[in-house]
Amino acid sequence: MTEVQPIQVIKGNTAAAVAAKLCRVKYIPAYPITPQTTIIEEIASMIAKKEMDANMVNMESEHSVFSAALGSSMTGARTFTATSGQGLFYAHEVLHAIAHFRQPIVICNVGRPSIPWNIWADQSDSLSQRDTGWLQFYGESSQEILDSIIQGYKIAEKLSLPVMVVSDAFYQSHTSENVNVPEQELVDSYLPQRKISENTIQVESPKSFGGLVPPEIYDRFNKLHWEAMNIAEEETIQAGKEFSKIFGREYGAVEAVNINQNTKTILVALSTITTTIRGVLAKYPEVGLLKIRLFRPFPVISITEIMKSVSPECRMITIDRNYMGEKEGCVHQEMKRALYGKNFPIYDVYAGVGGKDVPPETIERIINFDFGQNVDPVWIDI
Amino acid sequence: MQDLLTRFQPLEIRGHARGGQGMVTAFEILAKSICRSGNYFVQSFPFFGVERTGAPVVGFIRISKTPILNRSNIYKPHLVVVFDEGLISQVNVFEGLNPEGSILINTNRSAENFSTNAKNIFTLHATGISLKYGLGSKALPIVNAAMMGAVTKVIGGSLENLIQDIEKYVPSKPKENGFSAKESYHVVKWLESTKEIIPSVRKTTGNGNSTVPLVPSWNKPMTANKTGSWRVFRPVYEEKNAPCTMNCPAGTDVRKFIKQVSERDFESAWQTIQEHNPFPSICGRVCPHFCQQNCNRKGFDGGVNIGAIERFVGDYGIINTPDVKPIQYAEKIAVVGAGPAGLTAALRLRKQGYSVTVYEASDFAGGMMQTCIPLFRLPEEILSQEIHLIQKQGVKIVCRKKVNVEELKDQYNAILVSIGLQKSSKMNITNEEFCTDGLQFLRDVKYKHNLSEYKHKKIAVIGGGNTAIDVARTLLRLGAVPVIYYRRTEKEMPAIREEIEEAKEEGIAMEFLTAPVAVEKEKSSFVVTQTMTNVSGEIEKEKLKSLKMIRMTQGKKDESGRFSSYPLAGTEYSVYPDRIITAIGQKPDAYVFGREIDRNEILNNQGLLSTNPVILCCGDLAGGGTITEAIGSGNKAATRTHKLLRSENNVPVSTNNGKQNDWVKPEKINFNYYSFAKRNENPKQHLYNYLNDFREIAGKLLQPEIVDESNRCLHCGDCFDCGNCYNYCPDAAISFNGKKTLKINYDYCKGCGICVIECPCGYISFKKEEGERDGEVETGLKPVCTVIRN
Amino acid sequence: MTNNFYIEQEMMYSGSLGCRGCGWSMMVRYISDIFGEDTVYVVPACCFSIIAGPYPMNALKNNIVHSLFAASAATASGVRAGLDAQGKNKTQVVVLAGDGGTFDIGLQALSGAAVRNENIVYICNNNGAYMNTGIQSSSATPMGAVTTTEPSVHFKKNNPKDLMAIIKAHQVPYSATASLAFLEDYRMKLQMAKKHYGFRFLMVDGICPPGHKIEPEDAIKVARLAVNSNAFPLFEIVEGKNKINHRPENPIPVTEYLRLQGRFKHLFSTNGNRDNRNSEILEDIQRNVDERWIELGGNIFNI
Repeated sequence: MTEVQPIQVIKGNTAAAVAAKLCRVKYIPAYPITPQTTIIEEIASMIAKKEMDANMVNMESEHSVFSAALGSSMTGARTFTATSGQGLFYAHEVLHAIAHFRQPIVICNVGRPSIPWNIWADQSDSLSQRDTGWLQFYGESSQEILDSIIQGYKIAEKLSLPVMVVSDAFYQSHTSENVNVPEQELVDSYLPQRKISENTIQVESPKSFGGLVPPEIYDRFNKLHWEAMNIAEEETIQAGKEFSKIFGREYGAVEAVNINQNTKTILVALSTITTTIRGVLAKYPEVGLLKIRLFRPFPVISITEIMKSVSPECRMITIDRNYMGEKEGCVHQEMKRALYGKNFPIYDVYAGVGGKDVPPETIERIINFDFGQNVDPVWIDI
Repeated sequence: MQDLLTRFQPLEIRGHARGGQGMVTAFEILAKSICRSGNYFVQSFPFFGVERTGAPVVGFIRISKTPILNRSNIYKPHLVVVFDEGLISQVNVFEGLNPEGSILINTNRSAENFSTNAKNIFTLHATGISLKYGLGSKALPIVNAAMMGAVTKVIGGSLENLIQDIEKYVPSKPKENGFSAKESYHVVKWLESTKEIIPSVRKTTGNGNSTVPLVPSWNKPMTANKTGSWRVFRPVYEEKNAPCTMNCPAGTDVRKFIKQVSERDFESAWQTIQEHNPFPSICGRVCPHFCQQNCNRKGFDGGVNIGAIERFVGDYGIINTPDVKPIQYAEKIAVVGAGPAGLTAALRLRKQGYSVTVYEASDFAGGMMQTCIPLFRLPEEILSQEIHLIQKQGVKIVCRKKVNVEELKDQYNAILVSIGLQKSSKMNITNEEFCTDGLQFLRDVKYKHNLSEYKHKKIAVIGGGNTAIDVARTLLRLGAVPVIYYRRTEKEMPAIREEIEEAKEEGIAMEFLTAPVAVEKEKSSFVVTQTMTNVSGEIEKEKLKSLKMIRMTQGKKDESGRFSSYPLAGTEYSVYPDRIITAIGQKPDAYVFGREIDRNEILNNQGLLSTNPVILCCGDLAGGGTITEAIGSGNKAATRTHKLLRSENNVPVSTNNGKQNDWVKPEKINFNYYSFAKRNENPKQHLYNYLNDFREIAGKLLQPEIVDESNRCLHCGDCFDCGNCYNYCPDAAISFNGKKTLKINYDYCKGCGICVIECPCGYISFKKEEGERDGEVETGLKPVCTVIRN
Repeated sequence: MTNNFYIEQEMMYSGSLGCRGCGWSMMVRYISDIFGEDTVYVVPACCFSIIAGPYPMNALKNNIVHSLFAASAATASGVRAGLDAQGKNKTQVVVLAGDGGTFDIGLQALSGAAVRNENIVYICNNNGAYMNTGIQSSSATPMGAVTTTEPSVHFKKNNPKDLMAIIKAHQVPYSATASLAFLEDYRMKLQMAKKHYGFRFLMVDGICPPGHKIEPEDAIKVARLAVNSNAFPLFEIVEGKNKINHRPENPIPVTEYLRLQGRFKHLFSTNGNRDNRNSEILEDIQRNVDERWIELGGNIFNI
């Protein structure tokens, strides 16, 4: 099936914009924010050049951006937007609404933290939205951002759930690299037009969408959402398999690198840091990498499967590029949950917070760090 | 029965009310007062829904001697408190009620009316008590204080503490709320049901049977929610009386014919008038238009010119050829006097199927209409045509035949006497014989007698009625200089207002608050040639010298509502007219009865002098004094005669006599919906010279003006499909399916009352609901045996 | 003389959850009639979000999207875009919002949609407070009114925001004020709004018997007084020009309008309060009404 596809050198943000075009997105309400801005600029430019048939609208805030996206998606139109940090925080209210209106919106969030002012790579923005009912994918490369957005629509529209594809500020958003941009026809064959169903606004069968629901009923809507979330991991894997048949690139909910019964240490990480870890692994044959691609819902099934082969003495080190007001970072909390009942020693490292660079040396320092009896997370390079 | 507080531990109370009735506040205050009364642990909490005034709400109270270890809703209450009985059909208020439990209902009905599974049923008319103390609005009485009082009684709490807490915590009217609670505490009624109690089972929720859609969206019509039970007041379409119709002495449905005119259905309008009045052309000209007196448009931009409309309709129908009804009955009827009353009665009875003959002493039929209404007010041909129409319908009129009842008795089964008041009253002053009778004068003029002798003469006209005005205006046309002397003020003049105005416009002088005292005579060589007044030969050599007058002053209002007047001593003065014409009232000619008859005898018997044969007086003789009153009197007499002849009963028939005062008042008219429109006045002939000009003064309005004028009608009390109620109903609870089909759907009407206020013409009434709302009264299941205690 | 049954196709069901005499229900009957079937409503938090029907009911025979409080204009923009993307350009998108959702929390989204000239209709039922949550002050609350957040002596001391001026500044194709007491005018404006393309704004004087503390039956009477006292002038803004639709022949003093409403009751009590500034407040209100009337192009002397 795999065909030779054109290789382009593009930035992560461009990849996101191109993905939106390839998905034949119809509406992009937008609001500028560093480091996301170039995504909407790219989209605007493609529309201006008539390379893309869509309507991009400059909104007055991210709250409005997400609200407009919600409205558009409810009519059945495929809708995309992108944001970062404060923008995502500001849209928090709407994220819940989108998820519980079950709207298959896909967005690209280019992560950055909050206060003090900072525009650099950090995942505290998206991770703090992990409970809004969205699926979250963390991409490692421009290619993965592009592919994840395409797969995102596939999964979102299947499950009626919104998808957030997260990329790292600058390390990915503004990094130009080789990207295999698929042909439109291939994308079309993978991702057909969005179906108009009884769940979309249709003049012929009018409905009231989202009015007041009394306590006796409310939990039923939650339960339906929960049921969809419960199968999201399987759907992600399934979507990845179908994707690889057409495009030749394989994706799962997680990726295990060098994890087997001999592995002594497993680094658990998201996004660009995982690439650097890959590079370091060559020097450390006993160290493996567990890349979390699907963060929400947390891929407990895949992790459990992978960890079956791992010896119980193997150390787990989670790398958190986020600070959430809790002792442990987000990745650590979730991993502990996934490993509940297993007795792997597990440690947490805060690395790269606020865009601090995480070079291979830092990875090595993490691998070589003597945690001893210390169960508290370590702030590396501080 | 033991108090609930002693019987149940913890005691659980559930309340059902409507948003705005104050239940949540009431339960908070109750909890405070109960806590204080006995060191109880208490919980009071609402189920916080989307509270709308009127929408069902639920609240709870838990009371215990030990700390309360339950924060869930109450499902098995010992006492259910229903703030509004309408809720019983809307919500399952009895759900889960303890088998030994009680229910307290705000109702004005007795407990037996409720089928419930409660062992004890307490009832209280809390709404009535609350309204009595002015709590809440009439659309939403706030019954919470009353209910608190009753609950305190039922559970055995302290009234004293409750009242203290009410006064401390209610947002407004603390004293009134306290009174309301106290009264309720004492009047709540208890009924113990002895029927077998079937425990009510709580419906379980969350059984998962019903599924919800993936995307929260739904579309069940809102009509599933029957808001009719929110209603406290009910709007009702109800036709009311219009002042015009109610004021018409003839009984004409004025509002109806005006509406027909506005629809350009002049034929129907004529028929409508004919039902009561055979003289629309005449009445349209000379009736004082009682119908206009209370026209609700008066204070807005001028009353509707109903006279002009009636005149138009009358003139329109005057060429009609009505059917002659067959004779149905053997009884024969005589009518004595062919005035408006007699002719009306004759026509009614003829149409009913009697053979009727009218006897008229004078040369022509018409009575006063014929003899005394001057031509400039009523052209001759109008009168003759309308009388002719009556004849066409089979009424026989015999003129120049003066009859009395004795000679008719044998031939007729009923004799209607409508001879009017043809003889003038006397002033009872010295030398009164020098005065001319006003009616006689008018007759003379009509018959063209002595027209020239008034030219350039100064004439004193005594009186303030229509006759006085007619006399003066006629004199003017004969070239005389009339002066009207009236003993009261202009306001008190009984003459038709327009006639007075016209007389003034014509330049007739009037002096008010002055009365004649005596006529002074002097010897004269001239011979007075008043042949028609039967002046005796002895005074032929004497002539009128002067008229002695006295100034009057205004006194108190008399029974008729007019100010009386009395003379001021020492203010006598004299005037020197060439002639004096009196027009101060009339009396009947006794010839018809063959004996002198006191008019009071007639009035006291409501005109009925004998039943076998029927001898019945009507017209001026039996009261009234205007043409329309005479017509009304004729109508009544006809109905009465018919009933007497048919032995139906002897009860006088009451028709609209304009005295009931039961018509739509201007405050019930919403003038916002009527645009300002000037009254169409009859054009007036403004003559430079009235001499010998007897042409009709008031011109007619043309058809477009008449229709325009009829469109000024406010339709007082009668729906005219304006659409306001339909348009303004917030609840889309009014349907309309073409003319006169408006219907209120009481399943949904919340009783806001906007339609009542916005109805332009007062057609919608607003009535208190009395616990008998649609589909709310439960019948059937009743307690087998009941013990009522107080 | 009204002589018409205005509602041709009743798109609103009976049984809605409006309070007795609710202006919302009455107002929406006309909107839904004139805008017809091919319309999607967007409703932020406001009384109408309840009136429109809790699960599983719908008070309208139309689609309703319940939007977030601050986001009705934005959500409507999205709905518009989504419909347009599917070629459904004829479908009207109509926002039904309260004054809180318009003057306050939703102002940003409103401004954005207005300045973008989104092809939507925005109708604000301005009843002068957050009535849905139980009568709290909004920036539309008139001076002198008592609310639960500005109770008794702390009654509202400022004039409300002049939202129509703000809308005018956005240079939208059509905006107007309307009153339910003037149904013909109101219907005309709905027709005008329907006819125009782009952002259309209508502000309706909101009737709210519980919030204004009036008898429900007097609802229209009070609304009429609001117009006839110039407290709520009826005008349109077309191509940047004010056009006054109703000039009261003899404008009644604004006190006659205020007096009927319990929320202004304290301004008329004399209670022997020596520091009573009531007359000053009433004068202030009258002055503000007059000034705004003149600003609009009215004439207080009515020449």
